[in-house]
Amino acid sequence: MIKMKVIGKIEKKGFGFGVWTLVTDDNTTYELKDCPPELEQEGIKVEIEGKIREDVMTMAMIGKVLEVQSHEIL
Amino acid sequence: MKKLVLLCLFVLGLGFSLLSFKGLAQQGEFNSIILDFKEEVPIATISDEIKGLSDKYNQQVNLNSVFSISDRIYIVEGDKKTLKELKKSPLNKDTEYIEANYLYHALEVPNDPEYSKQWNFRNINLEKAWDETKGGGITVAVIDTGVSKVPDLKLTKFVKGYDFVNDKDDAGDDQGHGTHVAGTIAQSTNNGYGVAGIAYESNIMPLKVLAASGGGTIADIAEAIKFAADNGADVINMSLGGGGASSMMEEAIKYAHNKGVVIVAAAGNENRNASSYPARYPDVISVSAIDSAGAKAPYSNFGAAVDISAPGGSETGKIIQNTVDPRTGESVFVGFQGTSMAAPHVAGVAALIRATGIDSPDQVRDILKQSSRKVQEDSLNHFGSGYLDAGAAVELALKGKITFNDFFRWLRKSGYLNLGFWIDGGAVALLPKLGMVIGSYLLAWFLRNYLPFTLGLNGGLIFGSSGLFFLQGLYWFDLPQWPMRLAGSSIPELGNVVLGNSSLNPLFASVLIPLGLIILLIGNPRLKWFAIGSSIGVAACLAVTAFTEPNLWLFGTGLFAQGYLLINACLCVGLAYIASQKETQRA
Repeated sequence: MIKMKVIGKIEKKGFGFGVWTLVTDDNTTYELKDCPPELEQEGIKVEIEGKIREDVMTMAMIGKVLEVQSHEIL
Repeated sequence: MKKLVLLCLFVLGLGFSLLSFKGLAQQGEFNSIILDFKEEVPIATISDEIKGLSDKYNQQVNLNSVFSISDRIYIVEGDKKTLKELKKSPLNKDTEYIEANYLYHALEVPNDPEYSKQWNFRNINLEKAWDETKGGGITVAVIDTGVSKVPDLKLTKFVKGYDFVNDKDDAGDDQGHGTHVAGTIAQSTNNGYGVAGIAYESNIMPLKVLAASGGGTIADIAEAIKFAADNGADVINMSLGGGGASSMMEEAIKYAHNKGVVIVAAAGNENRNASSYPARYPDVISVSAIDSAGAKAPYSNFGAAVDISAPGGSETGKIIQNTVDPRTGESVFVGFQGTSMAAPHVAGVAALIRATGIDSPDQVRDILKQSSRKVQEDSLNHFGSGYLDAGAAVELALKGKITFNDFFRWLRKSGYLNLGFWIDGGAVALLPKLGMVIGSYLLAWFLRNYLPFTLGLNGGLIFGSSGLFFLQGLYWFDLPQWPMRLAGSSIPELGNVVLGNSSLNPLFASVLIPLGLIILLIGNPRLKWFAIGSSIGVAACLAVTAFTEPNLWLFGTGLFAQGYLLINACLCVGLAYIASQKETQRA
């Protein structure tokens, strides 16, 4: 599993009842797995450290699944 | 033998004439009668007459609608007897016409009050499919976040599922996605509540692989696929995706496919040029999403591996079903969008196709794709084979099959469900009537299923073997008989028309005319088949005649005549064979 640090904006996408994602400046969307409640705010800029989960599928299907391990609101 | 052949053809012929007999075909149902009063009749007279009618029939006689005031159209409740009485009454002279107010049967429209909001079902031409099947006896596995029995799934049938996330039998939904997806497939329909589902008589097998977060592992999903295949699922819907290629997943999909399960998955919502896994695997039908206007939904993946498109909705119009709100646990009717919503449309229609008796998953996929409505400009493969069309898919699946539904509908349409038709003429006429009805149905069925492709061949067969023989029996006083005799003759009998006797002319009763026809018509792709059909028809006619009444002009009725007819019959068969072979080679 790939570990990485990503910076971007939190966005709630309208699939199902809504999904929290991180959208980077180059418009890559990551679906946040185990998104901490304090990150569930539309539009805030954050840095997230986590793992890309290649073994996980989701109902939202909007991009790679990033499992949040630590984060910082910028 | 000849008699039997003739009898069969006779029944078919009668069928022909019955089919074109308008009187029988147009008897409809009605329970009210239309009265159209003449312009010159004073209003006072009309109101007196209406009052009289109201008193006589003990009912309120009303205008048909506010628009009927100037047209003077009134409606009286009543049946055939009332209609007769009214026509005989003095009213007749004051009216333009008095006629039955026939009821028109629309397609199957469910009574679910929110059905009108389901634009997506009209988009896929679903009502036409419902005329044939609602998916009874088919099981659809919903591999998702689980399925909760919300009120509008109360009448939906469930089979045993499993929760692979929490390892338990009850696969309830704590997320809301799976229940919504199951609703599109089999929401309780015609229950006077909520919305409709596509294959609402099918069984749902709830398999929970995605947690409340909406995500789940490939290992759980692969196990769920195997569980579905081992527990009698006919169709699997996976409104999920992501991650990379996985041999465990691929193997599970192969396993289910080999067991005859149709596997449908969402193409994904990244607006990127390839389907996500598992939709990307070759044995999975990958579904992209369109909006209510038929454009690619802004989020939908496209390109590689997309097989077909279906409504997934967008901000301008979503897919409404009944589900659970995970925050409150309450039942809600809510609009979702996504390829997640498009996939269950295809899974539901796949269930309808399977319910018609198509078992092979590859055949189901072919039917879905062939019957889809093609999109002209689609260089990026946004839509795969085109827009999903449930009505056309079921029609294609049923092509060439005689079903009770079809027979019953035909009976109703042709007016044969009318009791009068069966009673008139008493018990003696019952058997011939039954024969006629079955004969004409088979003929209608045959024409509908095969005629567009084999018109030439059939025409040739009839022309070659029997001609329109029933015309021979028609007799109009004062009219010359030869045109009827001519149309009623087969090719070998044409010589008799010229000679005016009953022995066959050796020139006509031979391979010569079919040979001439084939030489003349072989270059034309359609007419050639007429020539081939004629050759086979002549062969049949000659062979039957050889054994029943070999009577040749100049040659008599002996062995020579018999041999001549048989040799020519064989030559005709050979000729037809060679001509059709050429066709196959060229094709």
